[in-house]
Amino acid sequence: MQKEGKTLIEVKNVSKRYGDFYAVRNVNFNVRDGEIVGFLGRNGAGKTTTMNMITGFMEPSRGQIIVNGVDVDAEPKKVKKMIGYMPEGTPLYSDLTVKEFISYMADLKCIRRKEKKEAVEKAIMQTGLDKVRNRLTRNLSRGFKQRVSLAGALVGDPEILILDEPTVGLDPKQVKEIRELIKSFRNNHTVILSSHILTEVSQICEKVIIIDKGEIIAIDTPENLEKSVETKQVYKVTVEDTEDKFQEVFQEDEQIKSWKKTDTIEDNTFVYEIELKENLIDDREFRKKFAIKCAENNILNLGIQKEEASLEDAFIKLIDSRQEYTNEEIKKMQYEKELEELREEKEQRKEEKQLLKEKKEELKQYKKMKKKENEDIENDSENDEGGED
Amino acid sequence: MLAVVRKELKSYLLSPIGYIFIGLFLLMFSILFYNSIFAAGLAYFQYAFYDAATIMTFLIPILTMRMFSEERKSGTEQLLLTSPRSLVSIVLGKFIAALIIVLITILGTFIHFLVLKHFGTPDIRVALCTMLGFFLLCAAYVSFGMFASSITENQIVASVLTIGVFILMWFLPGISENFYYISLMYMFDHFPQGVIALNEVIRFVSFSILFILFTIIVLQRRKSVK
Repeated sequence: MQKEGKTLIEVKNVSKRYGDFYAVRNVNFNVRDGEIVGFLGRNGAGKTTTMNMITGFMEPSRGQIIVNGVDVDAEPKKVKKMIGYMPEGTPLYSDLTVKEFISYMADLKCIRRKEKKEAVEKAIMQTGLDKVRNRLTRNLSRGFKQRVSLAGALVGDPEILILDEPTVGLDPKQVKEIRELIKSFRNNHTVILSSHILTEVSQICEKVIIIDKGEIIAIDTPENLEKSVETKQVYKVTVEDTEDKFQEVFQEDEQIKSWKKTDTIEDNTFVYEIELKENLIDDREFRKKFAIKCAENNILNLGIQKEEASLEDAFIKLIDSRQEYTNEEIKKMQYEKELEELREEKEQRKEEKQLLKEKKEELKQYKKMKKKENEDIENDSENDEGGED
Repeated sequence: MLAVVRKELKSYLLSPIGYIFIGLFLLMFSILFYNSIFAAGLAYFQYAFYDAATIMTFLIPILTMRMFSEERKSGTEQLLLTSPRSLVSIVLGKFIAALIIVLITILGTFIHFLVLKHFGTPDIRVALCTMLGFFLLCAAYVSFGMFASSITENQIVASVLTIGVFILMWFLPGISENFYYISLMYMFDHFPQGVIALNEVIRFVSFSILFILFTIIVLQRRKSVK
């Protein structure tokens, strides 16, 4: 469900260029207050660049970024105070302890001395670092390092948290812990996180921004993105078919597009994959019809399961739909086009030549005919004169 | 700025770098002092500083090479540059922290003055004047070392660049007299004579300010071209 909070981050026509290469091109999106937004894209898609521009670490080549009504370019200090940033790869000062690191982050964020102690303590407790607070960051496990980096971003309760690949390199348990932690920020912070892991984004985020080759290709909720690719109706059914009637019963069903046996569990128990024709029957109706048909024909229906389209399907479909051509391919296409034009021109000339030939032939015939006519007239007139004589 | 100074000082003193710098310098200074007193028979505290200036050419990069290049390589630069702190305060914070280590080192040489004082009556004004000149020389060295560290993420490149330029400045006056005016060693020459020449103080300070500004410009520029 879309949140109704005010727009906190506005990214307007932002591009980042390195020479002729666009790392990010004409990116536009808004983030509302309290939202958890996920940046999804392959490695090198432009996620980190976009985040770096929001944090003020990089300047955009073109466009404008407004955070809570403040232009990042005009008043970076004000914007930076509102943002807690966790960079990719969890950079930490290895010679500082956990507490010293978080305390230094608090100093860098201009937190007042009176409030600093409390803010550091709160960040330590929130991220579960109490037991390791006096250990050097270089001696921590990857999971704890990630937490320390997160605590550094979180200290001082910034309105916005920008987390770049927060779970990369962690084991499944640590991933789960970090995800739970991020989920707990809901309602208190606006979070933008980047990831190339689809399940992560679908589990944590309310809105997904899919970015590829520096351009945004979709912005929607994970559910809507999944729905957008859910055009195929595919079911996996498990049946006990002692009389071997399945094929006979469903072969001529007009709503079924195709079916195939995918597995044999026991002697008479099979798994079939059935694909329906598009938009002929809804899910409920089909399940009902299938159950009745099975019962009528002594086929034991052991289970019917609809194959759900995942966010992964949406991602792959969107990426694939953006077919981009290499320079060589463009040259090849231009060459083929020119060749086609030449062929057409040649064909046209051939036709024209043929036409001209035909016309000439016609003219020749016409002249011949005329000549004959004239000769006939002359002969006739001579005959007439001879007659009179 | 104070936060950066505190953190940098902690880094110098919690790692071997600070101790290596202070220890190596004081050890070498002691050898030079011994040589000038016993081998050359000159009971002057300030004379050892002429050679100490050369030693600093090679030791200052130990302090400065990691200043920005390490931050850049490890990614902590992002933490600094996305914080609300201004670039000026970050650069000055690092510069001052390195200067504090240099100051501690220079104050350590005062032990040698006390040794001389035990046996004779050395001139304290000349000693203080020399130490001031040496401090200004080190400040100029640190500012250039910091600049070199800001332009590369490789600490070795930063230190080689720093040493290379210092050596160049050292030899340039041999080519033409005009180069005396940009030679830091030449600027320092008058201080051990007990003379505080205002124009040389200004030149040292200007040199330091110039390279602090260059460092800020490099970091600022990297933001737009990064």
